[in-house]
Amino acid sequence: MIGLAVGLVTVALFALLNQRVGVVGGYSNLVERVTGRTSRLGWKAWFLFGVMGGALVFRLLAGTSSVGDGYGWLTRSFGSHAYAAVGGTLFAAGMLVGFGAKHAGGCTSGNGIGGTSVLSPASFVATGTFMATAIAVTFVLKAVA
Amino acid sequence: MRARLAAVGLGAVFGVAMSWGQFIDPDRIRDMLLLRDPYLYLMMGTAVAVGLLGTRLMRRLGVRAVLGRRPIGWEAERPARRHVVGAAIFGVGWAVADSCPAPIVAQLAQGALWSVFTFAGVLVGILAYLRWQEEPAPARSRARVRGRAAYRLD
Repeated sequence: MIGLAVGLVTVALFALLNQRVGVVGGYSNLVERVTGRTSRLGWKAWFLFGVMGGALVFRLLAGTSSVGDGYGWLTRSFGSHAYAAVGGTLFAAGMLVGFGAKHAGGCTSGNGIGGTSVLSPASFVATGTFMATAIAVTFVLKAVA
Repeated sequence: MRARLAAVGLGAVFGVAMSWGQFIDPDRIRDMLLLRDPYLYLMMGTAVAVGLLGTRLMRRLGVRAVLGRRPIGWEAERPARRHVVGAAIFGVGWAVADSCPAPIVAQLAQGALWSVFTFAGVLVGILAYLRWQEEPAPARSRARVRGRAAYRLD
């Protein structure tokens, strides 16, 4: 069901705008706008605002957060008041996510769904790489943390 | 204006789907990455199958985009080094945070304050990337030469 909805968003973005779905591009658009690298927000930034709006509406209708208590393994390992450790780790991980996705030309959405949907070889390479890396790193983290 | 509305609307569907499927719960993502739960892979597989069929069908029928009226099409990109290097860096961040760009903003919108840190990190990572790309090529190779010279002196 969820996969169907995400696939239809991919198709609808092509049908309406002739564009490949992507999320990190929206962040990039914001950074470029705020730092004066571009003068306007493109569709990607608006898509990002839409994602936030959709999540907020879902939260209000569900009556409870979909995120869970604390923050996953980080607050379990470091404690829920370890603001510097958990926050610092999330900030560093975010930097890797932002830098890496820009360098690879897409995130889980852009390469993993948008690029693979149009059978772009680069997106298959990127998706295979980030999947394998993330799985390997998660097993390592589970073993040590 | 219409393009913005379309983008916001489709983004909202995406945000609801991410929340509904629990793809914004770091523990759920961790279970999927630990291969205890196949849901992420089934979701991505279904999404790609639907996306593949829909986009091929529209291209074959010569459908034009509703906004802009351009024929629906795309370019296949050849794999390069950056797709491997960038994706590996991304994969480490994804595994540590158990979240990627769409879930991060969805978490924020649902009031998960920890995600403020991840969100800020993504912005800084992107800014670092933009600066790195803007660095003129000669400066980059000069730095490399300097680095090599220093290495030889050592």
